[in-house]
Amino acid sequence: MVLIQVIVGGLLLGAVYALFSSGLTLIWGMMNFINFAHGEFVMLGMYVALLVVVWLGGGPAAFGLAAAIALFALGVAVYALLIRHVVRGPMLAQILSSFGLALLLRYTAFWIFSANFVSLPQTSLAGTVAVGGIYLPVAQVVAGLVAVTLTIALHLLLTRSTLGSRLLAVAEDRTAAMLMGIRPDRMQALTWGLSAGAAGIAGALLATAYPWSPSVGETFGLLAFVTVALGGFGSVLGSLYAGLIIGLIEAISAYWLGAIYKDIVVYGLFVALLWLRPQGLMGKA
Amino acid sequence: MKKLLAQPASGQRVSVWLLAAALVLYPLVFSDAFYRDVGVTFLLAAISASAWNIVGGYAGQVSVGHSMFFGLGAYTPLLFYTLWGWPPLAGIPVGILLSVGLAVVIGLPTFRLSGHYFSMATIAVAELIRIFVGTWALVGGAIGLQGPAMARGWWDLTFRGDLPYYYIFLAVLALVLAVTFALERRRFGYYLRAIKSSERAARSLGVPVRRVKLQALALSAAFTSAAGSLYGVKTGFIDPDSGFGILVSVQMVIFAALGGAGTLFGPLLGALILVPLQTASNTWFGGGGSGLTFVLYGGIIVLIARFEPGGLFDLWRRLAPHLRRRAHAA
Amino acid sequence: MLLEARDVSKAFGDFRAVAGADLTVEAGEIVGLIGPNGAGKSTFFNCLAGDTLPTTGRILFDGADLTRAAPEAHARAGIGRTFQVPTTFDDMSVLANVMVGAFLRHPHRNDAREHARRIVELTGLRADQPARSLGTPGRKRLEIARVLASGPRLLLLDESLAGLTPGELQAAIALVRRIHQMGVTIVIVEHIMEVIMTLTRRVLVFNQGRVIASGTPEQVVRDEAVIEAYLGRGARRQRE
Ligand SMILES: Nc1ncnc2c1ncn2[C@@H]1O[C@H](COP(=O)(O)OP(=O)(O)O)[C@@H](O)[C@H]1O
Ligand SMILES: [Mg+2]
Repeated sequence: MVLIQVIVGGLLLGAVYALFSSGLTLIWGMMNFINFAHGEFVMLGMYVALLVVVWLGGGPAAFGLAAAIALFALGVAVYALLIRHVVRGPMLAQILSSFGLALLLRYTAFWIFSANFVSLPQTSLAGTVAVGGIYLPVAQVVAGLVAVTLTIALHLLLTRSTLGSRLLAVAEDRTAAMLMGIRPDRMQALTWGLSAGAAGIAGALLATAYPWSPSVGETFGLLAFVTVALGGFGSVLGSLYAGLIIGLIEAISAYWLGAIYKDIVVYGLFVALLWLRPQGLMGKA
Repeated sequence: MKKLLAQPASGQRVSVWLLAAALVLYPLVFSDAFYRDVGVTFLLAAISASAWNIVGGYAGQVSVGHSMFFGLGAYTPLLFYTLWGWPPLAGIPVGILLSVGLAVVIGLPTFRLSGHYFSMATIAVAELIRIFVGTWALVGGAIGLQGPAMARGWWDLTFRGDLPYYYIFLAVLALVLAVTFALERRRFGYYLRAIKSSERAARSLGVPVRRVKLQALALSAAFTSAAGSLYGVKTGFIDPDSGFGILVSVQMVIFAALGGAGTLFGPLLGALILVPLQTASNTWFGGGGSGLTFVLYGGIIVLIARFEPGGLFDLWRRLAPHLRRRAHAA
Repeated sequence: MLLEARDVSKAFGDFRAVAGADLTVEAGEIVGLIGPNGAGKSTFFNCLAGDTLPTTGRILFDGADLTRAAPEAHARAGIGRTFQVPTTFDDMSVLANVMVGAFLRHPHRNDAREHARRIVELTGLRADQPARSLGTPGRKRLEIARVLASGPRLLLLDESLAGLTPGELQAAIALVRRIHQMGVTIVIVEHIMEVIMTLTRRVLVFNQGRVIASGTPEQVVRDEAVIEAYLGRGARRQRE
C-alpha cells in the first residue's frame, strides 16, 4: 500500500517535471538553444506565488495565473533583450548568455529572499484526499492533474493550431517562414514566453505542495535537462512521458535507497543516456 | 632597424617580460600575508581559467562543469593521504590520470553531438559527482577531507607561509601558458580554431575533429586537475562544494571569458581584474559579499555574452587602432 | 576508374533527395553536374564527401570503399570539396585558413605555411587578410584555396563560380583550368552554361535525385528530357 502511494506521488510530481521540461524542450526544438536559466524560471514562479499569497491574499487560481503571466513577460523580455542577439553568434555567447542569466537570477533571489526555505501559507488546497485506500495531499493531486492537462494542451497547441504550425515553420526554415509572411522574431519571442510561462505555472504548482529556497532552480534546471534528454530534444509529448518516468524513478529510489540517493539515480540515468541513447528515447539525432 | 620597428610582436614581448617580472617580484614587494594570499588566489584562478581556455576558448567547446576535474584533483591527494598516508605530491598525478579518464568518458559520447550537449553534460556530471561525493563516507561525505597538519617533508607540500605556494603556483601557471603557446602555433592549435569556427568545414579538410576535441579536453582536464590539487594541498582541506561546486566552474568560465576566451593571456587578464574585485567585495561586505559577488558575476557574464563575446582583448584589438589614430591626430 | 558511385540514394524521412544516382569519373576528367535547384546535387556531393551517410548505394574511390567513411577519411583519401554556402574559418586570416588544409599533408608548421603561401599566391588572394572581411566571391575562392592545399586528387566544386562578375568569372575559370592541369580530377556543379561549355567535355544532368541525361555539353542542352526538367512540361508541349 505504501509503495502504491509512493508511485502515485511520484507520478504526480513527475507531471510537474513534465510541464516545466516541456518549456525547455520547446526552445530547443524551436531554435537549437539550451536554456540554462530554465530552472530559475521555475524558482521565480514559486516566489511569485508566494508574493501573491502574502501580499494580495490570492488563492491558487490567482497565484497560478500571476506566475504564468509574470514569467511569460520575463521570457519575452529575456528573448528580446538577450537571446535574440546571441542566438546566431558564437557558441560561447549562446552558452554564456543563459548560464549568466541563471546565476544572475539565482543569486539575486538569494540576496532578496535569503537562503532559507519557505513554503506557502495555508491555501485552499490544504488537506488530504483518500483515493482507493491511499491518502494524498490535495495540493499534490491538483498540481499533478493541472500539470498533465497543461502539458497536453501545449502539445496540442503546437501540433493542432495555426499558431503551432507557424512556430514550426520558423523552426524548420526561418527564411522560408519569412517569405510566408510570418515574423520569426515574434514567433521566437512567443516561444520564450510560452516556455517561461510553463516553468512559472509549474513553479506555482510545486509551491503549493513543497517548501523551497532559491537553490531549487539549479535542481529543477538539471532535472529538466535529464527529462528532455530522456524524452528527446524538441518533443513535448516525449517530455511528458519522460517527466512521469523520472518522477517515478525518483520516488521509488527515494523510497528504497533514501532521499539523498534519488538525485544520484536520476543523474546517473542521464550519464547512461548520454552513452546509450544520446538522442533520447523518442527523439531524433 | 626598419624590420624591428615593423615587428608587431616586439611590443607584446616586452609586455610579457614586464608581466613576468611583476609576478615574480610581487610577493617580495607586498610581503604582507593578506597581499600574498590575494596573489596566490589570483595565480590559482589564472591557472584554472587558462586550463579551461584550452577546450572552452580555443576549441569552442564550452564546459560549465570543469569543477569535476578541479575537484578530482583536489580530492585525490588528500584522500590518499587520509587513507594510506601517501604524501600529497604522489596523489597529484593520480588525480590527473583520473581527470583525463573522466574527460574521455564525457567527451567520447558528447563530441559526436552539438556543442550544447557537451555543455549540458558537463554541468550534470559535475553535479552528479558533487552529490555523490557528499554522500560517500569513504571520501569524507559532506564534511570533506583534510591534508597533513604538519609537513613530514617537502613532498607533503605543506608549508607555513604563502611564499612557497606562490612560486609553485607561478611555475605551474608558466607551464600552462607555455604549453598553450606552443600548441597555439602548431597544427593542433590551428585545428582547434578551425573546429571552433566550423566543424563541418574542418572535417572536410581532413581534421580528425572528435580526436582533436578529445585531446583538448584531456589536456584541459589534466591542468585543471593540477590546479585543484594545488588548491587542496594549499588549503589543506576540501569539501564537496569547494571542490565540485558549480561556482568553481563559474569562476573558470568568467575569468577566461572576461579577458578573452581563446587568447593566450585572456584568462590571466580576467583573473587579474576579478580576483582583487572579489577579495574587496568579500572584505567590505563580509560573508554576505559572496552572494553579491555572484550576482555581479552573473551580470558580467550576461553582458559579455550580449556585447563582447570576444572579451576584453578582442575589444582592445578593435579599439586600439582608433585610439592610436586619435593620439596621432592630437 | 578514380570514382565510382553506384545507385546512391539519400532519403530525408519519406523524401528521397537523391534517388539512385550513378557517377563514374576517370582520373584526369572534368565532369559537369547540372540540374534545376533542389535536384539533389549538393546532397549527392555530401554523400560523395562522407558528409551524410547515403541511404543506399556504394562509393568507391580508387578501389577503396568509402561509403560509410567519415568526411575526414574522405579528405585523407583524396576527395576534396567546397560548400555551396561558403564556410570559411572567419576568425582566422586567409593564410591560416589555407594552412588548415595544408596541414593534412604537411604536418609541420613551416612546411604547411610554405605550401599554403604558394597556394594563396596561385589563387590570387591576400595572405594576411582576415577571412571575415572577404565578400562571398572571396570566400568561395578561399574555399578553393583551402581544399587545394589539402592535396586532393578529386575535387568536388559546388557552385564555386556562382555570383561572380564577368571579369571574376574568367579568372575563376582560368583557376579551375590551372588546378586541372596540376593533375586534379574535377566534378563541378554549376548553373552558368558558359562555364560548363568551356570547362567540361562530359556533363551529367540531375533531376529529382537521379541522372536523367549525360553526354557532351552540346548533346545535353538539346536533350528533350533535360529541357523538360528545366522548363517543365508546358515548354515541351509548346515546342511540339
Ligand atoms: N538536411 C535536409 N533535410 C531535409 N531535406 C533536405 C536536406 N538537405 C536537402 N534537402 C532537400 O533535398 C532536396 C535537394 O537539395 P539539394 O541537394 O540542396 O539540391 P541542389 O543542390 O541540386 O539544389 C531539396 O528539396 C532540399 O530541400
Ligand atoms: Mg546545391
